[in-house]
Amino acid sequence: MSIFREHKTSADRSANDRSRHKQKIEKAIKDGITDVVSEESIIGQDGKKKIKIPVRGLKEWQFVYGSAEGQKQTGSAPNTDIQKGQVVKKGQKQGQGQGDGSKAGKDKGEEFYEVEITLDELAEYLFSALNLPELEKKRVRTILEEKPKRHGTRPQGIQPRLDKRTSAIQRIKRLSAARRAGTVEVDEEGNEVFPFHENDLRYHHISSKPKEATNAVIFFMMDVSGSMSQDIKFLARSFYFLLYQFLRHKYERTEIVFIGHTTEAFETDEDSFFKRGSSGGTYISSAPELALDIISKRYHPSSWNSYAFHCTDGDNWDADNAKAFDKYAELASKCQMVGYCEIIPSEIMLKWKLDHRSKLFVMLQALAPSLRTSLIHGKEDIWPTFKKFFGGD
Amino acid sequence: MGEYTLADLEVWDEKICEIARGYGLDWYPIAYETCDYREMIGHMSYHGMPSHYAHWSYGKSFERTHFMYNAGAEGLPYELIINSDPSIAYLMLENPLYLQILIMAHCVGHSDFFKNNRTFKDTDAATAPMRFRNAAKRIKGYIEDPSIGIEAVEKILDSCHAINYQVDRRGRTRLSEKDLRKKYVDLIKNDEKKKWKDFNIDKLPLEPEYDIMRFVMENNPKLTDWQRDVISIVHEESQYFWPQIRTKVMNEGWASFWHYRILHDLQLPDEHHLPFLKTHNAVLRPWGLKLNPYHLGFEIFKDIEKRFGLEECFLARETCNDEQFILQYLTEEKARELNIFTYSPKGKKNPDWTIDDIVDGEDSWKEIRASLLQGVAGNMIPTIYVSEVKKDNTLILQHEHDGRDLELDYADNCVRLMENLWNGKVKLFTTVEEESFEIS
Repeated sequence: MSIFREHKTSADRSANDRSRHKQKIEKAIKDGITDVVSEESIIGQDGKKKIKIPVRGLKEWQFVYGSAEGQKQTGSAPNTDIQKGQVVKKGQKQGQGQGDGSKAGKDKGEEFYEVEITLDELAEYLFSALNLPELEKKRVRTILEEKPKRHGTRPQGIQPRLDKRTSAIQRIKRLSAARRAGTVEVDEEGNEVFPFHENDLRYHHISSKPKEATNAVIFFMMDVSGSMSQDIKFLARSFYFLLYQFLRHKYERTEIVFIGHTTEAFETDEDSFFKRGSSGGTYISSAPELALDIISKRYHPSSWNSYAFHCTDGDNWDADNAKAFDKYAELASKCQMVGYCEIIPSEIMLKWKLDHRSKLFVMLQALAPSLRTSLIHGKEDIWPTFKKFFGGD
Repeated sequence: MGEYTLADLEVWDEKICEIARGYGLDWYPIAYETCDYREMIGHMSYHGMPSHYAHWSYGKSFERTHFMYNAGAEGLPYELIINSDPSIAYLMLENPLYLQILIMAHCVGHSDFFKNNRTFKDTDAATAPMRFRNAAKRIKGYIEDPSIGIEAVEKILDSCHAINYQVDRRGRTRLSEKDLRKKYVDLIKNDEKKKWKDFNIDKLPLEPEYDIMRFVMENNPKLTDWQRDVISIVHEESQYFWPQIRTKVMNEGWASFWHYRILHDLQLPDEHHLPFLKTHNAVLRPWGLKLNPYHLGFEIFKDIEKRFGLEECFLARETCNDEQFILQYLTEEKARELNIFTYSPKGKKNPDWTIDDIVDGEDSWKEIRASLLQGVAGNMIPTIYVSEVKKDNTLILQHEHDGRDLELDYADNCVRLMENLWNGKVKLFTTVEEESFEIS
């Protein structure tokens, strides 16, 4: 005879390990943020879009066998209808499956641990960690805009501003007074006749009030010339993603303009911005020039908070530096902030022993603090650069 | 518990035990604990141990199982029983009566196996729950110790978990450092054929050391006492669970073999018998691309009984592990009947997987058996041993390559984690695509 023990409510035994696990996930998300932006187009998406984040730190590493070509596994079929050469598992073709899912396929045994969160949640994770309210006040300024606003009513005014509701109320007041006095006229059928009087009419009063503009436009500018490798673009994308997520949370409405440039600048969409490259040289000045043009046509500084960020490998034609400096100075005067980043992957830096700041970079440093400069060598520099841009000095 | 009470279970248990004793099964007393599904998942996350040390991976395991359960992707296991005396088993309150009967009969089979199979002889079932509770307390103490803390404890645990099944799988008696040295000193002294002329008697270790955690505990002087204790806790747990890995097919097969027989002998009324058959068939079905240990073990035991009688089944359950079990008892004919086949990826990048061999002759059967054996009895875990400690204190690990290459990403991370345990450089030598490869 076995022993039977009745169910007794015990404490939730795994609660501590679960919360520890959760902490680690959150940390992994923050650490791996640059990996999030690898595949899908997410910069321009709204906050409800769900993304899957592969969480790497949470793997339980063990020595395991891989699945190399010809490495055999055994199975046992439920039916006798099997033959040599029969396909039992279809290979995942490139591009099939979604996003990072295809990478997960190579992991044997353990599945890729993925957390699904919305972009809003992601942004919250990211920026709650920053914990720098002061920084936001300083760097995320909002411009004040004069906006006409209704402010009470007046007995005089023009017809279009007639406040029908208040006017009707005035009439009703006069009507009840007339009833009490017994002075209301009555027609043949016994109905009261009591038309509007001029004194009933009320007009909206309009006065000007300063109001914070809640629109923002972000110019993402990038060198798309031949010297920009996929690595560099990847870093740029990660960085832009962060900037977008951050600014999107500060403003009611955020628009993005992608400007690619070689020797000439052109406006483009997110997809071709990051994926297509062109050949040719580089005039960095072309990008701020186009941004200025777009600002004057579509995003007047009186009602738009403008931000402009430029990622390049710093490889500019010397002859263009002076012009670029001027254009940047002008752009900085019209924007809340301008950021200029030179991205040079560390391996390249080591290989060529480059003095890693270009001449233009050094020149632009003079425009601080309205223009900020930063060097990015790898993923690990993205977060610090972000903090540098929005942080103090 | 809807339509039945604990008293009902006791009545059925009585009948089950009587039948089992009649067949000569000999098991530890079983202590059944009822629980709801959430608690069941909780117990599963800790391998059924009533208490277990804390680690985030068990939280992860809980979340995963819980998610799968809610998504309906995975039924909870029908039984959860641990190798202890008495054996602790869990009955989920949500189960219908016929399922509880099935589980209780199944548990008798497992407990008999724990008690009698030779592989388990050193697991010390009587003290197991107590040892786990004790270990949990010590780890808790280290985590709460302000001079240690959770980060430091986790670092050691993470590292240990990476190598927790790098144990000496042959189960040889291990010579002490002193005796081992003496053995080689003697060999060199009586070395008439000059075979040992170049042997370095100061080499560490003198023989390949497969038990990596133990080697670290004995040979890393930089470990603090608490670190060594944490390693010893994981080490002891590995020693305890290793026999279950070695005998998964047999253990599940044996338990299924007995629940099937006992439930037939119980002559259940149709309202229980029909759902029982349905569940039995669902559990014991071939899984296609993976071997179902319940199915394979059950079929082999049935075949042994048919060919040699029930007594031989008892002999096998006592003396074999999965490797020996398959080698000795799985016939070509049975393998053909079970449609066992091998398959592999063809090509490098996201290839199709196709069938290589089906049982259609002696040669193909041998091929299939060889790869079948690579997937049981812990052989699915690569064998790594300590081959040497270099003068600069670099720890040299060697992978015993058996035709299968390591997953390098994983190996790389394991080597990194090993460095936490060794407090020094660690290198791993292996073979990748037939060329030697070094991870450091």
